[in-house]
Amino acid sequence: MSARLQLRDLRVAYDRNLAVTIDHLAVEPGTLAAVIGANGAGKSTLINAIANWSRAAPRLSGEILIDGEAVGGKSADHLARRGVVLVPEGRGVFMGLTVEENLRAGLFAARAGGRAYSLADIYTLFPRLRERRSNLGGSLSGGERQMLAIGRALRMAPRLLLLDEPSIGLAPRLVSLLLETIRALADGGLTVFLVEQNVRAAIAVADSLYLLERGRVVASGDVAAMKDDPRIIEAYLGARN
Amino acid sequence: MNIAQQLVNGIIIGHAYALVAIGWTLLLGAARLVNFGHGQIYMVSAFVAWWIMSMTGAPYVLAVVVAIAAGAVIGAIMQRLFLRLTLSQDLVNLMIATLGFGQILEGAAGLTFGPKPETLTSPLQAVTFDFGPVWFTAQDALAVGATILVFLGLHVVLNRTRFGAAVRMVAEDPPLVALYGIPISRVYISIFAFEGAAVALAATLIAPRTPILTSMGFEQVVMTFVVVVLGGIGSVGGSYVAGLLLGLFTAIFSALISPAYTTAAVFALLIAFMVLRPGKLAAGGNFAR
Ligand SMILES: Nc1ncnc2c1ncn2[C@@H]1O[C@H](COP(=O)(O)OP(=O)(O)OP(=O)(O)O)[C@@H](O)[C@H]1O
Ligand SMILES: [Mg+2]
Repeated sequence: MSARLQLRDLRVAYDRNLAVTIDHLAVEPGTLAAVIGANGAGKSTLINAIANWSRAAPRLSGEILIDGEAVGGKSADHLARRGVVLVPEGRGVFMGLTVEENLRAGLFAARAGGRAYSLADIYTLFPRLRERRSNLGGSLSGGERQMLAIGRALRMAPRLLLLDEPSIGLAPRLVSLLLETIRALADGGLTVFLVEQNVRAAIAVADSLYLLERGRVVASGDVAAMKDDPRIIEAYLGARN
Repeated sequence: MNIAQQLVNGIIIGHAYALVAIGWTLLLGAARLVNFGHGQIYMVSAFVAWWIMSMTGAPYVLAVVVAIAAGAVIGAIMQRLFLRLTLSQDLVNLMIATLGFGQILEGAAGLTFGPKPETLTSPLQAVTFDFGPVWFTAQDALAVGATILVFLGLHVVLNRTRFGAAVRMVAEDPPLVALYGIPISRVYISIFAFEGAAVALAATLIAPRTPILTSMGFEQVVMTFVVVVLGGIGSVGGSYVAGLLLGLFTAIFSALISPAYTTAAVFALLIAFMVLRPGKLAAGGNFAR
């Protein structure tokens, strides 16, 4: 069986600045892969490129394969309907829509490929959202907003869930709660690709780890092996202060 | 002067202004776009209706339907033509391009329909209601009723349906819309088509009041501009109120002073409003209310 996600010779550039260079990367179905790296390492550029989405307009080259199918050049909305679902950095939900409107707004195809979570499923996963179902996205706390962003993504039957720094700006207790939920989703068969600056949190939940520096993967492997890698320890200590 | 009759006239003209402006309001509020060819779509739709009726002898109702379809098609064509400017929210170039498109429509209409004033005849023009000192036609009543229905309908669609949610999403954060799996150009095309259809409906309901000319588009876009700005740029409810107040102002001003200076007076009002309340003009995220 082919990998859920494969990148080959991926290059992403802003004007003349090459921000991401990945020669090869593969994520197996039902696993949770995490990319860690410092500010400006290229994490967002990489994860956005997989969804062919960006607020800027970087240039992409190379191959992106989803379940063996080359999807380079497919629009972001097409990919989203086909189950490549991105929760972007920062504001990932609509402030002017209520929680429930955000959860109902997504459009996905019957052949998106993953399990489509019902509204009830999402409310079971994040009970807080049920309480706030008629509140506007703009009135939510950072944590609630992140839950909503993930809930919205799950509604779209993701084959591949792409998460850009889900832990950012959240209290430590909420970070573990959120990441444990994501881990449980992966245990249930969902394929997750997430990028994180919070190395400790990523190590706690991921199956495989990629350390990104200046747009390149400088170390990668199973979490069990990677956690003792001196470069990770260095990055981890670096991230702490 | 007959004050009561002027008030009735004002209410009718006001609803006409509001109905002509509703498409622009949505275009600006939801898509942050402008269309200075708006008035020429009004003109072309009126002529399409007139042409259908005089060429084929079709009834007024059928002419209205065809004109609305023509308006929607023109709107959709404009969206396709200016897609790149639309997606990049390039307002200055879009203003010039749509202004130019309007001029082309006007030229084409002049060639096709000639320079003479024509009359679009609605059977409802002949039906009048007299209530002591005031009177109005069934056509006037239809225009007012249709305006109210279109505004209420738009309000419900925007706030209660998934399509309306998509329009509000486009208003708030266009790039993010794609991540919800929604093709944004489809939403834009619907908004443009609605704009064209709504102004065409307005044209067929209002144009029977006066002779129609291929040069009448400019005046329509000017009044629409004023209604949209006074209503709080892109606010749906605001446009309705602004249209109504502007209609009352125009009617009373024409009766008390002179119809010749109405446009000047309307602009004086607009400038005063802009100077006095500069911060309050944009509806922002609340345009759907
Ligand atoms: N819109 C843009 N235009 C030009 N260069 C950009 C743009 N966005 C990012 N870059 C550059 O690309 C590189 C990678 O940025 P990116 O946002 O992917 O990093 P990141 O790892 O996500 O950082 P952070 O942890 O701060 O979110 C940086 O050098 C950045 O300066
Ligand atoms: Mg980032």
